[in-house]
Amino acid sequence: MSTSEIVPSSRAFRGLGAFLWTEILVQAHEGLAMATSMLVQGVLLIFVWILNPGLLGVAFVGSIIFSTFAMGQRVLNEAAYIRIDHKANDLYLAGPMSPEAYFLGMSTGILVVYIAPVIALGALATAVVHFTLAQGLLLLALASIVWVFSASVGYVFSTFFRDNRAIWAYSSLFFNVFGVLPPVFYPFDLFPTALHPVALLMPPSGAAALAQMSLGITHLTSGELALAVGGLLVETTAVFLFAIYWARRTVRGD
Amino acid sequence: MTDFALWSENLRKVYMSKGAPPTEALAGVSIEVRRGERVALLGRNGAGKTTFLKIASTLLRPTSGRIQVFGFDVDQTPEKARPYIAVVPQEGKPFFHLTPREQVYTYLRARGLGRETAKTRTEEALQKMGLTEFANRLSITLSGGQRQRAMVATVIATEAPLLFLDEPTIGMDPFARRSVWESMRALTRKGSTILLTTHYLDEAEALSDRLYIIERGQVLVSGTADDLKRSVGGTVKVLLPEGAARVESFRTFGSCVTDGEALTIIVEPERLGELMDLAVRSKLMATVGPVTLEEAFLRVVGRSIDVD
Repeated sequence: MSTSEIVPSSRAFRGLGAFLWTEILVQAHEGLAMATSMLVQGVLLIFVWILNPGLLGVAFVGSIIFSTFAMGQRVLNEAAYIRIDHKANDLYLAGPMSPEAYFLGMSTGILVVYIAPVIALGALATAVVHFTLAQGLLLLALASIVWVFSASVGYVFSTFFRDNRAIWAYSSLFFNVFGVLPPVFYPFDLFPTALHPVALLMPPSGAAALAQMSLGITHLTSGELALAVGGLLVETTAVFLFAIYWARRTVRGD
Repeated sequence: MTDFALWSENLRKVYMSKGAPPTEALAGVSIEVRRGERVALLGRNGAGKTTFLKIASTLLRPTSGRIQVFGFDVDQTPEKARPYIAVVPQEGKPFFHLTPREQVYTYLRARGLGRETAKTRTEEALQKMGLTEFANRLSITLSGGQRQRAMVATVIATEAPLLFLDEPTIGMDPFARRSVWESMRALTRKGSTILLTTHYLDEAEALSDRLYIIERGQVLVSGTADDLKRSVGGTVKVLLPEGAARVESFRTFGSCVTDGEALTIIVEPERLGELMDLAVRSKLMATVGPVTLEEAFLRVVGRSIDVD
């Protein structure tokens, strides 16, 4: 290719489709990881079904929302791994591909490959819990927002590490702080009242509370409802925009 | 447009880290690479080669100085320089869960090449790197050398106007290295420019039109491999396996190095006959050969270390 054939371009999202496809191929070749990704949620559903079938709706909501959260968190590991171990940043970003395409392509590629078990979970939930269309669409929207939040946080965090092993501790921390402690897998009403605002401001538990409310499992005051919706939208938008900015900012080291 | 594919002037890079004194990796590097040239950056570990390559390839901000790729300021407008470049990163690896064919093809597509062009270039690059046989195997199952070949194939397939190759043949067998050399020559014949770093000095000699030796963040020497060899006092090397004891008699011929009982003298070809006469009269066996780039490198860099 001669220099005269090249038109310098700073087009945002250049290379997005191709890198998304790259990530789909990479993830799809790891079939075992994909097959086991829903194991925890599946086992949890069996436990709930045995112990208290009345909480199956809560468990399904939690499983779907936490699964999309976990898919976003895979971005943390994947982005750090291919940057540190494979030098993929150097290969891809010292070229015409845009940094936002790199971030979004990676995140969406993981989503596309790992979404199949979540769809299966959704189908099972529809059969067991009998979601209405509105309830199903709301859950889909909430899960999508949680994924955007989680993938954005994951990508930004991935840039802070020089050693993959250091990330394991943080992955576990995210898992527990966002998924286990707050009311994602259990009814929101059981969470201490004084801490309700905290749970509502954490996207996975905020989304779960809204989904539980739509199923009539829990009750939110109008203030709590506003806090959950506002928090989810504002935090996710802010974190996503910051991740785009950060993707551009971190192409070059200082 | 400028004649230079890459141009830098007084480029400095100081790494700042908490709790440690600042480290000056580049202390004013000025380099010119003309279009179509193959230029090697040589230097010891930590000399500053990779730092220079990272700045030139828009991945690291310089502390001061100027650097341009095809006339575009790399520091101020990196996005304008990026379409012109491709990089084989040091210790880079292909995606383990892609095959070499998928790796090369998807990378070309991510750079904006059309399907047919990407397909054709992928097959050409795989063939050049001897990867056709392994093209459909996941990279995780390949040897280290084969993975490195996949990385090089990925980047040479771009035919980018300016390629940065940071130790591109590390871990490769001699046949694979020569395939890479031939591919690089072919690329520059097509008009690409190549800047590479390597610790294989035979590679630098076989491949580069010119070279720069960097030591402690500064350009120590630049020129052709022959220029460098001449700079150490000659282009012929005479080894006297038992000559160390007679070193004083041979000092006038050129640079002398003793190693145990052996004496090595670097000498200009015009004085070789005279030196051999003395060796015969002294009843010393002698072996004559050309000075290698590695020997010249060791002397130039070694001299610099001694001065410091």
